[in-house]
Amino acid sequence: MAEAVIGPVSGNSLWYQVRAFLNAKLVHIFAGGLFTLLAIFLIYPIAAILIKSFWGDEGFTFDFYAEFFSYNFYYWSLINTLILGTSVMLMLVIVGFCFAYLTTRGPLWLRKPLKIIALLPLAAPPYIFAISLITLLGRNGFINNFFDLNLNIYSWAGVITAQCLAFLPLSFMMIENVLNSFNPSLEETASDMGASEVRIVRSITIPLAAPGLLKAALLVFVMTIAEFGNPAILGGRIPFLAPDTYLMITGEGDFNMASVLSVVLITPCILIFFLHNYVLKGKGYATITGKGMAAEPKPMALAIKISFLIITVPVATMVLLSFGVILIGSFVKIVGVDNTFVVDHVMNTQSNIAIWNSIKVSLGAGGVGAIVGTLLAYVIMRGKFRGRQIMEMTALSGFALPGTVIGVGYIIAFNRPPFLLTGTIWIIILNCVFRFLAVGVEAGISKLHQISIEIEEASADLGADFITIFFKVVLPIMFSAFVAGFIYTFMTTMMSLSSVIFLTTPGFDLASVYIYLTAQLGELGLASATTIKMIAIVAISFGLLQFVAKKAGLDVRTKQGA
Amino acid sequence: METQKTPMLELIDIYKSFDDVEVLKGISAKIAKGELLTFVGPSGCGKTTLLRIVGGFAALDSGQVILDGEDIGKLPPNMRDTKMVFQSYALFPHMTVAKNIGFGLKLQKWPKKKIEERVGELLSLVHMDELGDRTIDRISGGQQQRVALARALAIEPKVLLLDEPLSNLDANLRVVMREEIRNIQKRIGITTIFVTHDQYEAMSISDRLLVLHNGIIQQIGTPVDIYEQPANEFIAGFVGYVNFLEGKVTAIADETRTVTVFTAYGNLELNHSQFDKSEKGDEVLLVIRPETIPLSRSDGLTQQNTFNGIIESFMYAGNFVKYTIKIEDKEMIVDQYNPKDTVKFKRGDQVKITVPRSAHVLPKNTAIEHV
Repeated sequence: MAEAVIGPVSGNSLWYQVRAFLNAKLVHIFAGGLFTLLAIFLIYPIAAILIKSFWGDEGFTFDFYAEFFSYNFYYWSLINTLILGTSVMLMLVIVGFCFAYLTTRGPLWLRKPLKIIALLPLAAPPYIFAISLITLLGRNGFINNFFDLNLNIYSWAGVITAQCLAFLPLSFMMIENVLNSFNPSLEETASDMGASEVRIVRSITIPLAAPGLLKAALLVFVMTIAEFGNPAILGGRIPFLAPDTYLMITGEGDFNMASVLSVVLITPCILIFFLHNYVLKGKGYATITGKGMAAEPKPMALAIKISFLIITVPVATMVLLSFGVILIGSFVKIVGVDNTFVVDHVMNTQSNIAIWNSIKVSLGAGGVGAIVGTLLAYVIMRGKFRGRQIMEMTALSGFALPGTVIGVGYIIAFNRPPFLLTGTIWIIILNCVFRFLAVGVEAGISKLHQISIEIEEASADLGADFITIFFKVVLPIMFSAFVAGFIYTFMTTMMSLSSVIFLTTPGFDLASVYIYLTAQLGELGLASATTIKMIAIVAISFGLLQFVAKKAGLDVRTKQGA
Repeated sequence: METQKTPMLELIDIYKSFDDVEVLKGISAKIAKGELLTFVGPSGCGKTTLLRIVGGFAALDSGQVILDGEDIGKLPPNMRDTKMVFQSYALFPHMTVAKNIGFGLKLQKWPKKKIEERVGELLSLVHMDELGDRTIDRISGGQQQRVALARALAIEPKVLLLDEPLSNLDANLRVVMREEIRNIQKRIGITTIFVTHDQYEAMSISDRLLVLHNGIIQQIGTPVDIYEQPANEFIAGFVGYVNFLEGKVTAIADETRTVTVFTAYGNLELNHSQFDKSEKGDEVLLVIRPETIPLSRSDGLTQQNTFNGIIESFMYAGNFVKYTIKIEDKEMIVDQYNPKDTVKFKRGDQVKITVPRSAHVLPKNTAIEHV
């Protein structure tokens, strides 16, 4: 019903004419500018990959795809990636469900600590687990030495374990949300009618949670196949798509094949993105509206308690152990081998420079991302033009695209005029801005949902023209969403590895890239110390974000990415 | 209230459609200076759309909105001399109470000192003198309502628009705020349009009501007109309960101002009011309010307009008893007030009711278009 026709302020001077023009056109000017930015920095790089995968020296060709499917190494890379995604997905649905069940229905004293542990990996980049697993179980690993074992962590088991730990928060948060959204009285009714807890879980809880579990599973799948760090560090000789794409560029300089690999990797991600946002959207049984209620704690059946604890306790232990060894590893020479206290790792100049570079890039990305995100949210919510949906979809899609793919897209797209950006800090900043745009936009949209359109109408009613409303009313109200977008983009940029690794130049290391390189070289002390510093910065930002979100009542869905 | 002077606001033949649905079908009305007119009607009747057209938030398809002699129908809201109090109050969450109230003044570039003075006046008008520095989330719902009112009044608009302003308040506060809004409105004498879906709220706050249904004005009139001289069946049933009785005019005696109507119970003699345009032979509908029907124990006698019936059920409501009385095969609802001092009947009691001569006569099948 919003049909506010907020018009010009009368007058004839040039200023009034300019103002009248802006009053009428400002939203369209913003919309045009934002469309252009999205086209250049999201659509164009992806289009560039698509073209590159079909376009060789002699023009259009299917040769690269033919090569992909004929050469063992490549298609095994695809098959391995799918196997990795599927196994991590299945394991994490089970583990996430056990965690979420215990934190929503388990004994009270257990709920908070378990929840904190399940969310802990959010404060660290996913590849922290590659480093901790090497420290514990690598060739010179602490556990291997101590028990005189000969476990090989550079294997399927290593990659799957690291991925499971890394994406535990994603699975846990989504499933906990689902379990919180049922009315506890459904389960209580079943119990009242005489069902045992095992039966309730089987016939009430799991069926009700099924749509939510499916959504969680799909997201875990996408994040796992897109993740670069863990398979790159632990994968050894096992081919996976994301690291192979990187090797294709750094090792062989084969942009065509890198593009083919990117297209192959992106396909399931885009499919699932659509499935998730348009097919499954709104599916599910929200049996209570509003805030979730915690079930009245009641004693759990022994069978459930024991089996769930058997699953959650080792996982929780691994999470804590991983953070522990990273912390210890930062301050001792080599964990388990030479436990002398040293500050060399933490004080390392190169590591500090890398951290400082990351902060600069992340601040830049945070600022630009927050501005673009806030404006996008406004234009999407309040604009009246065709294509708003496409705009929203494009803006949110950055998050669904694997980092390696956007990374490849950016080097192909921006290494020549008219957009020559390769080698500058801007290519990294813009890359992160547009990859992580989704949260800023969603925070803005969530804020705009809270403020009734009547507020803008009331401003007009009181005599304000559009410009005044926009700058004096809308922007101040959206400020909290702006801050949330800023901090979130800052955090994710700090930890981002998969796309920026393509874009950094020698001599300008980012913390994430530095961690990856030192981990590859077995310099675990340096890798751990840099990770610890990164975690400290991210943890502080995370605290700030929660504070801002809570203060402003924003619905900032914490997203996990690499 | 309605005077011969030029009206403050005049709506002329307003039409409005959303997509293919016509929500307003030729609305015309005049509102006198200082008058409080209520747009009332069931949800979906178009009352909010009509208000938004007056405020400039919805564009009209055709017609005119004349404010103090000037057609403002095409002006944007920020250039109209009407100010709106929104249903959600629409207070700016990032400003204090005083900043909210002063927002419009600041836009008009009033000097700071004068804004402070004016805001102070308004704060005391709405009894919130000490609360100017509070933020919006630190005042109650009723106080938010007062701030919204003060903010709209600050720039001294020619017409004040109130969009269901009481709907977010709890029942007791509604009554308090209703009286307060009416008092303030009378004190400053501002022309006001009030929108509500609540008939009783409309009856108790208004100088006149404009009853909308299906995008058409069913009747404009004072609360007394609406209740006692309803223009059609819809209006008669809109406020309060009513017994309808079908009949046919068999005689009109001008000298005794009596109209005789033949009904299922025989001939009834009623006052022939000046508003009743029916003629001999017309099908009519009698509107008989439950509280106007005298009720007594049956004495076996029959008089003019009197019938015997049996109490079928009753409901005791404290200040009155609602009886359902079966008369032959029809039911009649009778409210007997002050039950403490009157005879209480039981189910099955034989009673006598009298249709009052004041029962209202409506032409039948009044799918009335314009009044």
